[in-house]
Amino acid sequence: MTITAVKTLDPVTVEIIRNALTSAADDMNATLIRSAYSPILYEGGDCVVALLDTEHRVLGQSAGLPLFLGNLETCSIAVEELYGRDVWKEGDVWILNDSYLGGTHLNDVTIFAPIFDDGAVVGFAATRAHWMDMGSKDVGGSMDATDIFQEGFRMGPVKLIEAGIETSVVDLIRTNVRFPYQTIGDMHAMIAALRMGTTRMKELVGRYGMDQLDAARDEIFRQTEEIERETVRNIPDGVYEAEGMLDNDGINLDTPIPIRLKITVSGDTVDFDVTGSADQTMGPVNCGAAQAVSALRVGYKLLVSPDSNSNGGSFRPLTTQVRSGSVLGAVAPAPCQWYFSHLGLLIDLVSKAMAPAMPERVASASHGDSMIITAAGFDPRFGRNFVTMEATLGGWGAWQGTDGESAMINNVNGSLKDLPIEMMETRYPFRINEYSIRPNSGGPGQWRGGNGVIREYEFLADCVVGLWFERSKTPAWGLFGGSDAQGPEVVFNPGRSDEVRTLKANARKVKAGDIVRLAVGGGGGFGDVSQRSRDEITYDIVNGFITEDFAKTHYGY
Amino acid sequence: MPNYRVSMDIGGTFTDIVAYDQHAGTYTATKSSTTPGNLSAGVIAGLESIVDDLSDIEFLVHGTTQGLNAFLERRGVPVLLLATAGVEDTYHIARGPRLELYNAQYRKPSPLLERKDVIGVGGRLDGQGLEIRPLDEVAVRQAGRRAVAEGYGAVAVAFLFSYKNPAHELRAREILLEELGEDFTVSLSHEAAKEWREYERTSSAVVEAYTGPVVRNYLLDLEKKLGDRGVEAPLHIMQSSGGVLTAESARKRPLQTLLSGPVGGAMGDVELAGVSGNRNLIGVDMGGTSFDVSLVVDGKPDVSTEAHLEGLPMLMSVVNIHTVGAGGGSVAWLEAGGLRVGPRSAGATPGPACYGRGGTEPTVTDANLVLGRVDPDWFAGGQVSLDREAAIAALKTVGDQLGLDPIAMAEGICDVANSQMAQAIRTITISRGIEPRDFALVAFGGAGPMHAVFLAKELGIPETVVPRFPGAFSAWGMLQTNIRKDFSEPYFYLDEDIDVAHMAGVLRSMETEGLSSLASEGVPEDSRLTNASVDVRYQSQEFALNVPLTSADEPESTDFVAALATRFSAMYHERYGHSNLGAPIEIVALRTQAVGDLGRLDAPRFATAQSAEFKHEIRPVVFEHVEHQTTVVRRDDLAAGHAFEGPAIIVEQTATTVVPPGFDVIVDEFGSLIIRTQDVEGN
Repeated sequence: MTITAVKTLDPVTVEIIRNALTSAADDMNATLIRSAYSPILYEGGDCVVALLDTEHRVLGQSAGLPLFLGNLETCSIAVEELYGRDVWKEGDVWILNDSYLGGTHLNDVTIFAPIFDDGAVVGFAATRAHWMDMGSKDVGGSMDATDIFQEGFRMGPVKLIEAGIETSVVDLIRTNVRFPYQTIGDMHAMIAALRMGTTRMKELVGRYGMDQLDAARDEIFRQTEEIERETVRNIPDGVYEAEGMLDNDGINLDTPIPIRLKITVSGDTVDFDVTGSADQTMGPVNCGAAQAVSALRVGYKLLVSPDSNSNGGSFRPLTTQVRSGSVLGAVAPAPCQWYFSHLGLLIDLVSKAMAPAMPERVASASHGDSMIITAAGFDPRFGRNFVTMEATLGGWGAWQGTDGESAMINNVNGSLKDLPIEMMETRYPFRINEYSIRPNSGGPGQWRGGNGVIREYEFLADCVVGLWFERSKTPAWGLFGGSDAQGPEVVFNPGRSDEVRTLKANARKVKAGDIVRLAVGGGGGFGDVSQRSRDEITYDIVNGFITEDFAKTHYGY
Repeated sequence: MPNYRVSMDIGGTFTDIVAYDQHAGTYTATKSSTTPGNLSAGVIAGLESIVDDLSDIEFLVHGTTQGLNAFLERRGVPVLLLATAGVEDTYHIARGPRLELYNAQYRKPSPLLERKDVIGVGGRLDGQGLEIRPLDEVAVRQAGRRAVAEGYGAVAVAFLFSYKNPAHELRAREILLEELGEDFTVSLSHEAAKEWREYERTSSAVVEAYTGPVVRNYLLDLEKKLGDRGVEAPLHIMQSSGGVLTAESARKRPLQTLLSGPVGGAMGDVELAGVSGNRNLIGVDMGGTSFDVSLVVDGKPDVSTEAHLEGLPMLMSVVNIHTVGAGGGSVAWLEAGGLRVGPRSAGATPGPACYGRGGTEPTVTDANLVLGRVDPDWFAGGQVSLDREAAIAALKTVGDQLGLDPIAMAEGICDVANSQMAQAIRTITISRGIEPRDFALVAFGGAGPMHAVFLAKELGIPETVVPRFPGAFSAWGMLQTNIRKDFSEPYFYLDEDIDVAHMAGVLRSMETEGLSSLASEGVPEDSRLTNASVDVRYQSQEFALNVPLTSADEPESTDFVAALATRFSAMYHERYGHSNLGAPIEIVALRTQAVGDLGRLDAPRFATAQSAEFKHEIRPVVFEHVEHQTTVVRRDDLAAGHAFEGPAIIVEQTATTVVPPGFDVIVDEFGSLIIRTQDVEGN
């Protein structure tokens, strides 16, 4: 029997292969989540996996954390650029956490491996996950680092496993992190995910052969590209711009950090240019260029292809311009711990810029990024130390036809949930006096922005508190005549003689009986307030989303 | 003379009824049309068609979707929620996750009441249950009056730490009932779900308040009608946990009945695992719009302590059913020149093109029809006649653009749908640490057996079982269950802080409570059983594993904490693929399961074949692009011991089983079809 080359592939086989590639990534992800040691992975889902082809293009990818979208391939590409294609050997596994190559903070570690079949590379498996601690000067990461050396240890691409045997890099990791047991456990979970990907890929190669797989891949990429180009083609040509700013970099508190985006749509292509953004900063709000590209791809995907799985055909209509040495294209030794603060902003800016062109797809701005409070101290009830970190909930922007959602996690934290008060008070020396939806915090409009929350803590023991609250200088903006939202406010000991207002704090001391009251911002409004019906305004008053005074002032109620 | 054990499972279109004749040792299954609006009428009619004298019924079990439908159609009663002042927004904040990561226009799950329906009530307990501020009784009384004035149908009460100390919730109910009358529904969070996590507990109480009156009225009506027809056996109700309760108990705790619908099938799997010796099963049930997967591991159902319905959480024991968005109604369509199948479904209206109700898009059911895998005259027991021409026309709308004739198009749709379902099963099993090849597949529901063997082939599963009455398998499963009541007690301690004597004391009092509740269910003393267990996790994790104890006294045994850690680590390893023996563990909750053994039913024996021959016909059916001469047989014409080779199609009133080439069929002694691959490698 002679084997003949496949000329054209039937559409049924293409679709089965397309589903199989996505499913292979799902299986890798299930393996990682099932085997991970850290709650941030198995509960928070702060990870991503992908199968890549021999040219590092994505064949299948798990949904994962949005900010990890579409930059896993930079890691294996970096290896080839450094060492050439012959560097890949069967049984090798590589690791990398370099912020300037991978783009994120040092805690995000990428592990990847070539997949071999019959002595030849047939693709790559890759996974990225958040590790709890990388040996930074403060546990889990710092709020006030001024260079990357304070943020932990950095690995360019190095071999973690060589010919099936773990290298001494594993010992290096074990001795440099604060929670080696969990960290090495997570590392093994990631390797298990690579093995699952390798098994699935080899099954596909065995079942269909490389010729059919390549032909199917080309057709899958073509379909994805065509779907996206069709959408982009329907956006009116033009230049669209938007600008916003971070309050500061956590070090120089009076200097805002502008982020500028220029989008050029021309036919079926779109260019995102962020070169006009601020220079990299002394404080840790920088990211590598790869991560800026990721954020731009998230912004693009939200508008162009929200429903489909990304693959190597995705983002082909998109080009990006990032300036080296800027906050979005940081170079050594810029600190990168809070790499996502301006990326959340950037994602919102894509929506803001494109609003005139695609009014039905965009939403007004959300409250911003994680809005974090940390606390650490000694709990006299148990005679033990404790440490806790929470991301708080805020309001989301309204869109055409619908009010924004209140009290929801920000766009860079995936599907994270808040910590129940009953767990909180049982485990830590706090009392939560108030946890409520913050009235009037959403931007008014024909469709009202969602409200943020108020969360008030009373400390029952002496502690140190950290805060990272942002976006007070450009609070969530409205669109199409909708108004801006209220930004965040944090007050220590409100109404007392020692009342203090601040949005950022590193290891601030508080005493038993002290209070901190967090008020998280809302989302922007959409459309002109004069178009909101009296019934809707009454509904908002009755349900406490706005007060009657606010309705009078802002809606003429 | 009491002789029959009967189960009834109400579906959207049909009510399935299965009766077991204890003297003859035989089962009978029947279907009656579901009568929306007056469900009891359909139930009684169905019962009378299968049992001549209803007083001959000795045991009656019922799976009700009353609460579920009220929830899904949002026609429960208006609920007023009383919550701890200062944190009364807990229910609407809903912990704030964003479950669709790429959707800038994401909406949270729609709550069952609005913010104006929430009243913050003064009073606060601390984490130990000690009172910091007393209950504001005046506010509670005012709330009661408001409930009357504004026409609320139920009140839910959910205060912080009520699982530790229910005093404030109990006192609130006393006051509310004084204002609202003894029969008014007041759902207390610590009774709906005695667990920590205030949002989830509040949500449980709200769901119970919202659906409770509907379930209660239905059960009262049905019990009365059954009584009028001479039924003396107490009515039992299927619960989400896989056990049953008397209707009287179910009326008090209606939440437990909410997700009982698909659970009967999973309990049927468990029973099959018991009689067949095949301890590990994957159950697949395919209906029009969804495809349900359930697991039996080592003979036990896969049970969780939390469930979600349309995104709203409920804390209760529930048999896990994984739903995959693929079904007979899944639509094939084109995107950028590529073929897609689902996830959109043609649903019941317009339904597949072959239903002739105006559907023009090709669906999986249309594909099966054109391939000859569905008998147009026997579909859904002959209740729906299918239009093959309409199916072909629909297939051509997509097939012409792909250059595929209707047959190739139809097979392509089935292949894509089968591979999607198989991959979904694989991912579910992998996330549970299970290798599907080590399992057998059980297919039930109307369409499950039509696709099951293809799925088994794709997954490398060597054996597929199609039980008798696959369409009524859920009802059959309900007959095989026990009385079950679950008790929980939040109990939060780090390993080094555990007071073993105190823990044993709490477990013993739970055991006493469990045994007395079985007595009130009418379970004879020698059939009462309790199982103690404890929820354990590594320090600081959110989710815990339920670790069985040998008895309520076990905590007082030597080195108990070390033994518990070892047992937990072993379970953790099985579930997650690794463990961390020596790391600090913490206890989260104590649990007691009270089980009333209802006695084993004899395994149903099936008539043995008198000869190897059986009545059948040969018809051409397409498999792998080629027409095969295919054995087509009515299931009624088969007896135990009959064996034949695929390709074959076995038709019966409620289902059609499709066996592709390369598989053998044997009818076993219980009447199940056992379908095995001819490939000894299992590929």
